[in-house]
Amino acid sequence: MALWRKTADNKTARRAGIDGRAQIAIILNMNASEDTVLQVEDLRVCFRHGQNRTEVLRGLSYRLQKGKVLAVVGESGCGKTVHALSLLKLLPPGGKITGGRILYQGKDILSLSAEELRKLRGAGLSMIFQDPMTSLNPIRTIGKQITETIEAHTSYSNLRARAQAVRLLKKVGISNARKRLEEYPFQFSGGQRQRIMIAMALCLQPNVLIADEPTTALDVTIQAQILKLIRDLQRQSGMAAVFITHNLAIVADIADEVLVLYGGYCVEQATVHALFSKPLHPYTQGLLGSLVSLNKKVEHLPAIEGYPPAPGMPEKGCPFAPRCPYAGEKCHSCLPPLIEQEQHKVRCWLVEKNEKSR
Amino acid sequence: MLRYILRRLLLLPLVALGVTFLLFFLTQRLSPEMRASLYIKDPRQMGALEEVIEKYGLRDNVFKQYGRWLSGALRGDLGYSQSANMPVAQAIKEYLPATVQLALVTMVLVVFFGVWFGVVSAVKKDKWQDIAARLVSVGGFSLPIFVLGLLLLMLFYGKLGWFPPGGFSISTDVTIHSPSFHSYTGFLLIDSLLNGNLKVFCDVLRHLVLPALTLCIGSFALMVRVMRSSMLEELGKDYVRTARAKGLPEHAVIYRHAGKNAIIPVITLAGIQFIRLLGGTVIVETIFDYPGIGRFGVMAAQQLDIAGIMGFSLMVAVLFVLGNLLSDVLYTAVDPRIKLGE
Repeated sequence: MALWRKTADNKTARRAGIDGRAQIAIILNMNASEDTVLQVEDLRVCFRHGQNRTEVLRGLSYRLQKGKVLAVVGESGCGKTVHALSLLKLLPPGGKITGGRILYQGKDILSLSAEELRKLRGAGLSMIFQDPMTSLNPIRTIGKQITETIEAHTSYSNLRARAQAVRLLKKVGISNARKRLEEYPFQFSGGQRQRIMIAMALCLQPNVLIADEPTTALDVTIQAQILKLIRDLQRQSGMAAVFITHNLAIVADIADEVLVLYGGYCVEQATVHALFSKPLHPYTQGLLGSLVSLNKKVEHLPAIEGYPPAPGMPEKGCPFAPRCPYAGEKCHSCLPPLIEQEQHKVRCWLVEKNEKSR
Repeated sequence: MLRYILRRLLLLPLVALGVTFLLFFLTQRLSPEMRASLYIKDPRQMGALEEVIEKYGLRDNVFKQYGRWLSGALRGDLGYSQSANMPVAQAIKEYLPATVQLALVTMVLVVFFGVWFGVVSAVKKDKWQDIAARLVSVGGFSLPIFVLGLLLLMLFYGKLGWFPPGGFSISTDVTIHSPSFHSYTGFLLIDSLLNGNLKVFCDVLRHLVLPALTLCIGSFALMVRVMRSSMLEELGKDYVRTARAKGLPEHAVIYRHAGKNAIIPVITLAGIQFIRLLGGTVIVETIFDYPGIGRFGVMAAQQLDIAGIMGFSLMVAVLFVLGNLLSDVLYTAVDPRIKLGE
């Protein structure tokens, strides 16, 4: 853990004279960007069911800077959660990362040994899961569940770990924390459990927080509390976050950059401002178009026609073509490349055509 | 919790009453002559049959006879067992500790190996460890217990001479009946330690190994199965993923998190198996010439020793209720969500 932090910090590393490999990693990193904490390159994930292989993530790339929040949005089944789990190599049985690299502070997570990976999980990179009702061990006190995380990564005594746990619980707004350490998850409400999950994920001040739909299972008022909490903590500590959601309101609220996933492909990636003011991909336009305003009266709720593709549909053409109102012949036969213009990436033939005609 | 235990204990007399009455009613299907014949040792005295029937009131109404038995039982007098040649209460006191001892040692083995094999089986699902664990447990399960017992006896006593049959050796028999050896609990394993006599302890343990091993091999397959499937279910749950995401070492994820949750159904099974062992180790007790309560029960049934049968079934009924209560209480120790009596 300590080593991880050191390699993160360039100056510290040079002063301490860390071994050659780490320095090379740092130099390589400098070329990219000094502040990049997490970099994903062409990530591919496959699931196997007997003889069938289904590719659910088809080459995802992005870069996450220190202190920034990247939101990953998309419909159910587009690969959001699979992407989150693969960042920590926590894919369920049958799932396999088949290609690409995940660089955490310049080091490839996929090439780490089991022990190195364990030390990274929960300390450098930590995760909050979708459903707080099932993500805590039902028969273990929450005190133990928090302190064991601290003890797994530090040499803290149990007493010190408990003091830290109390501090964290207070920070996430759970009153009477010292007493409540002895209680079990079923004695807490859903919102409280999610806050405990957050406390647990933040107890070692990770550099990157991966939040997989952390508010989906909660009601709206608690959603707002949780979001505010994450945002505050993130601003205080300069932590970067990957925020996975299907809720565009949350994206506008919390993210710096947005990545739109569709059928396992990144179809559009831009800053929040650029994406919301000028969405380029028809799918993103559809998503934004289906937002409902309280001020306007509508007969029918706007929606994108059709259904998202089943995972593993043939790799031919644009994945959105069957639902796209503008789809032409080319869209059905050829996969468009990810085109970059002014830091706004989009995967669509129409955009390319517009570009040329301009 | 205390109230729950008390309430369950209040049910105990009801269960005991039901069981003993049913059994008593069944034995009444035999004619008074058949029931009286047990008390006549010499065929030439068959003429005294009517006298016996008269003396014990064997022709009376069922309820009246049962009432007599019940009033005796309430005073602690369970009658005289002809088959064991001693009062029933004394026979139980003499034979039960040996069986409890055997059942306890067996259960320790069964739970230990059952849980261990089950966990390994689940963690290494479909790998060679899983296949081996399942083969061993199913193999033990399918082998008839008397075959297994005789095989073990042949190997470890006949060929190697390591583990002799019987409850203890003659020297131990002499020691435990000497005035210097105090019988505190009736359990020789505990008494020998309390007396500071390690020689007796080792001797008793040595005699326990084979019957316990036989019973264990015969019954731990079920434990492996239950533990394996329960463990597989737990390993797929979200909190296990959370535990891994927190960076806990794998052994902590498996034992502290999944294992503790997975053991809950095993407790029920262990409770049932333990009670079954208390009343039903007769085959093993016979093979290994082990002085246990199972043999007393079978002997009483074979010889139509009605007092013996009644005493034995009363004991089994009481143990059954207590055993179930124990596993219920154990639940609360493992799972905080379970609150008894609410």
